[in-house]
Amino acid sequence: MTERVITLKSFFEEARAGRLTGIRCGKCGELAIPPKEFCPACQQRAWGPVPLKGEGTISSFTIIRVAPRGHAGEAPYAVAVVKLAEGVSLLGRVVDMPLEALTVGLPVKFRPLVKGEQTVVGFGPA
Amino acid sequence: MRKVALVGAGVTKFGVRKATYRDLIWEAGKACFDSVPSVKPHGLEGLVVGSVMPERTAFQSHISSLAAEALGITPSALSARTEHMCASGTVGIRYAYAFIAAGLADLVMVLGVEKLNQPVADEAILNMGTGVDRDWEACYGLTAPPCFALAAQKHMAQYGTTEEQLGLVGVKNHAHASKNPNAHFQKGVTLEQVMGSRMIASPLRLFMCSPITDGAAAVILASEERARDLTDRPVWIRGTGQALDGFTLTSLHEDYAHWPAMKRASQSAYRMASIGPADVDLAEVHDCFAIAEIIAYEELGFCEKGEGGHFVATGRSDYGGDVVVNSRGGLMGCGHPLGATGVAQAAEVYAQLRGEAGPRQVADAAIGLTHNNSGMGEHVVMVYGREGA
Repeated sequence: MTERVITLKSFFEEARAGRLTGIRCGKCGELAIPPKEFCPACQQRAWGPVPLKGEGTISSFTIIRVAPRGHAGEAPYAVAVVKLAEGVSLLGRVVDMPLEALTVGLPVKFRPLVKGEQTVVGFGPA
Repeated sequence: MRKVALVGAGVTKFGVRKATYRDLIWEAGKACFDSVPSVKPHGLEGLVVGSVMPERTAFQSHISSLAAEALGITPSALSARTEHMCASGTVGIRYAYAFIAAGLADLVMVLGVEKLNQPVADEAILNMGTGVDRDWEACYGLTAPPCFALAAQKHMAQYGTTEEQLGLVGVKNHAHASKNPNAHFQKGVTLEQVMGSRMIASPLRLFMCSPITDGAAAVILASEERARDLTDRPVWIRGTGQALDGFTLTSLHEDYAHWPAMKRASQSAYRMASIGPADVDLAEVHDCFAIAEIIAYEELGFCEKGEGGHFVATGRSDYGGDVVVNSRGGLMGCGHPLGATGVAQAAEVYAQLRGEAGPRQVADAAIGLTHNNSGMGEHVVMVYGREGA
């Protein structure tokens, strides 16, 4: 096994500092996220890290009203799938905007969502 | 490959059960053995048990051995447990099928069982969260309903599917369940009740979702020679297919209204069975959420992409339509005890193709299909046919 260019741990550590990182295949140029072993397009292992701008549009979303334990106090909250400008999709929690403003196609921008030790991806107004 | 048939089937009452995990195994086993009295436990060469999370819900692993002992089965060719989240039951049927088709066994039981309800109500919702990627998705507070809600939202935006059409899937399946004494829900629901029910994850409301349910089901699979000895109405396995697009949401087709793996799985099964979607008389599809059934109509080839909402609204998936979908009441009406669901789907097709489905009988049913999925990206399809179909 080759050494990972980025790991889930480093992805979220970078995200905490406000930076989104993907991986690009050095053979065919395929962009991927989260970290993978083989390039899904050309089946090679030639990944290099690539910074992502964090700008994109909502391709789908849902407002969660019945939440699992650990998130129950946060409901209602929205989760969106965002197609980033670079062409890859990323899941994130919607922040800093009214839930009723959400639509498919809405432009959004990444921001880190820090909760204690944990960092997750947030998306807010572009 | 040898021909393989279903020769027996039994299902427990589905619902919020006081029964223990072992009780459910006993009950499904008894119902299955009762359906084919000439088969005794020692006559079975194998047992496959589909079960997802007994480690969490019953503090129990080593499942196949537990079930074998409980039922008095002494496997000589095959003993295994399958865990493939919501598709565990059908995945188990495929293993038993392959063993028999290959000549490694002649008579095998497949049993699906799940005890989901817990004394603390939100424990079940927490447990269901084990089906999504812990590090990459569950950290957002994502469980099953929001995943499928993302597909619903996209289908509505892309094809104009309405919330009412989603609701009509619930109305139809609850109506079917009202004729199934083993279903979790038997009172039926009106469209007003569905549309007025609590929002879970927009646009999915309570009655557009399958409930948290306990239950078990069992079927017996036999080689052609054994099947002909045991019954004059074997239900033949005609085709099977399984396909995977990915696990995490962002690894799937970027348009969540498309589930290409379901299309590929069904095409494998149709090709093997030498049939097409128009030949299917009844289909048990995985309506864990209303949108899943609407997309299933499309990917299984019952209608064109984007027409699924219209398909249910015009009665084409009900009795008298093109294909009767979820005659037993589906996951929404029967409930969804994960590992048991795929096996209960097979049991319904078994009853229908033998003309034993009582008030739910689909007239002259000859070809039945089951579709079981685990998430939006992993799908399993079986095609069954009665003798001569």
